[in-house]
Amino acid sequence: MAEIGGGGGCCPPMDLMRSEPMQLVQVIVPMESAHLTVSYLGDLGLLQFKDLNSDKSPFQRTYAAQIKRCGEMARKIRFFKDQMSKAGVSPKAGEFFASAHRSATAQQSEIESQQVGEDVLETPLLQEEKSVDPTKQVKLGFLTGLVPREKSMVFERILFRATRGNIFIRQSVIEESVVDPNSGEKAEKNVFVVFYSGERAKSKILKICEAFGANRYPFSEELGRQAQMMTEVSGQLAELKTTISAGLDHRKILLETIGDKFEQWNLKVRKEKAIYHTLNMLSLDVTKKCLVGEGWSPVFAATEIQEALQRAAVDSNSQVGSIFQVLRTKEMPPTFFRTNKFTTAFQEIVDAYGVAKYQEANPTVFTIVTFPFLFAVMFGDWGHGICLLLATMCLIWNEKKFSSQKLGDIMEMAFGGRYVILMMSLFSIYTGLIYNEFFSLPFPLFAPSAYECRDASCSEATTIGLIKTRDTYPFGVDPVWHGTRSELPFLNSLKMKMSILLGVAQMNLGIIMSFFNAKFFKSAVNIWFQFVPQMIFLNCLFGYLSVLIIIKWCTGSQADLYHVMIYMFLSPMEDLGENQLFPNQKTVQLTFLFLALVSVPWMLLPKPFILKKQHEARHQGQSYAQLDETDESLQVETNGGSHGHEEFEFSEIFVHQLIHTIEFVLGAVSNTASYLRLWALSLAHSELSSVFYEKVLVMAWGFNNIFILIVGILVFIFATVGVLLVMETLSAFLHALRLHWVEYQNKFYEGDGYKFAPFTFTLDGNEDE
Amino acid sequence: MGFLVTTLIFVAVGVIASLCVIICCNRGPSTNLLHLTLIITATVCCWMMWAIVYLAQMKPLIVPILNEGE
Repeated sequence: MAEIGGGGGCCPPMDLMRSEPMQLVQVIVPMESAHLTVSYLGDLGLLQFKDLNSDKSPFQRTYAAQIKRCGEMARKIRFFKDQMSKAGVSPKAGEFFASAHRSATAQQSEIESQQVGEDVLETPLLQEEKSVDPTKQVKLGFLTGLVPREKSMVFERILFRATRGNIFIRQSVIEESVVDPNSGEKAEKNVFVVFYSGERAKSKILKICEAFGANRYPFSEELGRQAQMMTEVSGQLAELKTTISAGLDHRKILLETIGDKFEQWNLKVRKEKAIYHTLNMLSLDVTKKCLVGEGWSPVFAATEIQEALQRAAVDSNSQVGSIFQVLRTKEMPPTFFRTNKFTTAFQEIVDAYGVAKYQEANPTVFTIVTFPFLFAVMFGDWGHGICLLLATMCLIWNEKKFSSQKLGDIMEMAFGGRYVILMMSLFSIYTGLIYNEFFSLPFPLFAPSAYECRDASCSEATTIGLIKTRDTYPFGVDPVWHGTRSELPFLNSLKMKMSILLGVAQMNLGIIMSFFNAKFFKSAVNIWFQFVPQMIFLNCLFGYLSVLIIIKWCTGSQADLYHVMIYMFLSPMEDLGENQLFPNQKTVQLTFLFLALVSVPWMLLPKPFILKKQHEARHQGQSYAQLDETDESLQVETNGGSHGHEEFEFSEIFVHQLIHTIEFVLGAVSNTASYLRLWALSLAHSELSSVFYEKVLVMAWGFNNIFILIVGILVFIFATVGVLLVMETLSAFLHALRLHWVEYQNKFYEGDGYKFAPFTFTLDGNEDE
Repeated sequence: MGFLVTTLIFVAVGVIASLCVIICCNRGPSTNLLHLTLIITATVCCWMMWAIVYLAQMKPLIVPILNEGE
């Protein structure tokens, strides 16, 4: 694959037409300079490393330990970031102090529980029991604690069941939410006290408490000790508070110093991680003294890569330099287009359908113009075009500002496509002038209208119509049509025919692109048995239709083109009668029909047989003249190239060709019909805008009331912006997209390549963990 | 202004734009070829659009019939 190169002979190769020529390169780096080398290559960003250790799990690789350390560092840095963002929002405790804080609040809530517990204690029940029971010698124990409120009912029931009712439980609601010491979150809780008798009951209750996540707190029976505990705890609390405030100050200072270096650290860690990941893709030499890496790089980058390697060797004081060599391979190289900020968005539109096969003709070359053009055919209004232009100029003007900051999803999309929108708006101003629509209003900008009344009284203007007295209106649609009764029939006929003409032109362009592809890949079969019959088929039917449309316009004939086209197939021998547009039309039609019919088997049959023959010839040649190539082929084999003669399944090739032929023949009809969407959408656009103008603005004007007029203007502006400028732009965009992806690109575009993804540090931002 | 004259104007505009691009931002033959292609495509598209609308109005089969209300 790599040996295919060079342009089409006469002219220099066109930028963007073909993806950059790529080569598979091998880099042998001594161990000691490997890290620096990869780092320099990452700065350069023009080498896509191949994973040579794909059979090894991440843990078996050479630099697994380093990656682990990087991961650990990244975790720490993330922790700092968390802490910083927390501190930024509200100066709360850091991790260490947070735990202290938590225990403090836990104790605080404990006090509360004690207070509530005291209430419980004051209930006469306990005293009663105490007073009644001492004779029985039953030791009545109790547990106190907190249980989540939503679980409290179940908790009580389970306790009751487990002890067969031999307990006494009291619960009380705590009004404020309590910080849970386990999770650190605030939760609504109940305080409970359970009285029980016997050790077995105690152990059961303890288990249940654990199961429900109820925290128990020690609680003394004697009032004196309770008071003592209270003072102790509040003393501790005060102490902790001072500790926390001191800690907060300390933490703030610490975080500020971290904050200064945070970005730097973050970048460094990510860079290191990326470097070690890449180093892991390199395979270790048998001597364990150097690393061997393979990867794709553009041919033009060879010297830059070599320079980087040399620089790395010098900077790392390595005794031996790195070795750089180009490998030969049969593998399909990645696709790499060098785009600039203008062409990127258009290339992305094409890539969204499929990444071009290596060195395949790139539809973007024409899409840059035809995409906005077809959009504008559907969006023809120079008022709306100017609005769009102003909006996108705003984006382009503040390009520097916007590109450095983070934008919302929709804004991001609009900003990314700002040059697409610029082209779209320029073309829609042009087509708007052609359609003669400015917010649906026509202006006689270029000349007076070509039509006038038949006589001085103008009596027939509403019945038979006006008459053409001057030359045709020189640029665009005559303004006189606006608002007339025959406006729609005229515009429909015009726009429908225009859609077909533009469609046939674009489909021809697509087929011509397939010719450039065939020529570039030196495939005579594709020229003679694909390009030529396809051209003939399309142009004998729809090219002929286009010519008929133009002839009809030029001669002013009344012929019915539907009738001509339909009866060209149904009864080609029949006389055309009044539908004849030019002499010998029948003979011409018969010839075209014959050519179209012949071109179908021409497309279908020869190609598979020729491919088979070519394959056989190649196969024979291989079995003889092998010997002198063995060395190289062996080397290619060891380099992991998917070398070997591919299987040739004739039936598969034939079915593929059959499908391709059927697709093209049916597609010629359906794609032509598909271009009628240009007509439909441009009609919808002009009708909508004239409805908004007449039914809102003109009607509001008619009331002669300033208030209604203001409301009317506001409604008009919102409808124009919301419906015409946003929704219609979107729908016209999508339809233009479809016309390019399907109707244009299916004529030549394979789109089964994969994108060149070099190892680089610039895109580090969206690298995932 | 007939069909041919305006077509010639389109051709002239296309040629002038091509020359401008080649002279003003000359960035090597490959890039120039891309720019030329873009300009030629744009000119052809615009010309086609104009030509279609012009031809359609040359020999009118339908004439404008004014609305009763006007």
